[in-house]
Amino acid sequence: MSLQTLPSLDIRHFLNGHVVDVFETMLSKKATPAQDGTSPEFAERITGSVGLGGDTVTGAVYLHLSAEFANQIAATMLGLLPEETLPDNDVNDVVGECTNMLAGGLKSVLCDKSFECAVSTPAIIRGASFNIESMPDVRHEIMVYECGGNRFTVEVHIKFISNAQPL
Amino acid sequence: MPKKILSVDDSRTIRLIVGRALRPYDCVLCEASNGEEGLAVAAREKPDLILLDVTMPVMDGVTMLTKLKEDAELKAIPVIMLTAESGRDNVINIARLGVRDYLVKPFKEDQLLEKIGRSVPLQKKEAAPAAASAPGPVAAAAPTA
Repeated sequence: MSLQTLPSLDIRHFLNGHVVDVFETMLSKKATPAQDGTSPEFAERITGSVGLGGDTVTGAVYLHLSAEFANQIAATMLGLLPEETLPDNDVNDVVGECTNMLAGGLKSVLCDKSFECAVSTPAIIRGASFNIESMPDVRHEIMVYECGGNRFTVEVHIKFISNAQPL
Repeated sequence: MPKKILSVDDSRTIRLIVGRALRPYDCVLCEASNGEEGLAVAAREKPDLILLDVTMPVMDGVTMLTKLKEDAELKAIPVIMLTAESGRDNVINIARLGVRDYLVKPFKEDQLLEKIGRSVPLQKKEAAPAAASAPGPVAAAAPTA
């Protein structure tokens, strides 16, 4: 794949399928892309982030969840009742692992197109109000999903290094 | 004799899912949260199978696997890699390292059990003794849970 044909790498299309797969397989929950695409407002947000880095591509994948929904999916994944309140560490671990699966899928697509890269271990950001802002020349995609009455977003920042050729 | 399985993953969630999947089976689960710990536990416990994550802090799964294969006492232990990366090259690279099998995350518990069962025979635990309300002396048999 040449740098000129990079726009054909349909990150949005790939992640739409992959998000559905991760939620269905690990959580037995049906997630669907939101029709209107309006990003949700979270009173308290938990964000998982995983970085991608290589000679020809760098970037990051973020999974933004409300604190309540993050607790719900953590409880489900750990085999507990969804309404059970979990310690922050358990919620962080589940959100991090889900983000890792999303980033790992994206990494696979990039590597198959000769953009070799590695993924970082996950990190978690917690807060009431913050934005992830992209740097110049970084492709930025935000995808909104619905799942059982909850909304969440997946955000991807990706930069193909212009003076490098795919391996 | 119960089979000993070592789960090496920095995610407690994944180790817990592995433990939950194996709970009905007669096996002992050992855990480690990175490759360095994994090597130490493998040397101490000599597991029958290792389930190994790829991306971990301190020492990643590929480094642990490489060191495992260099160790005369440990190199024969079968390893199943658990990875979030399903790309063609990644799979080829993992295969070259001498793993028995690999499983791409996300996965379902039955997929995990199928992969494990191909490497080590899994036997269900025997049923628990009859309920305590039954007449007669209390059974001396140890509970299987």
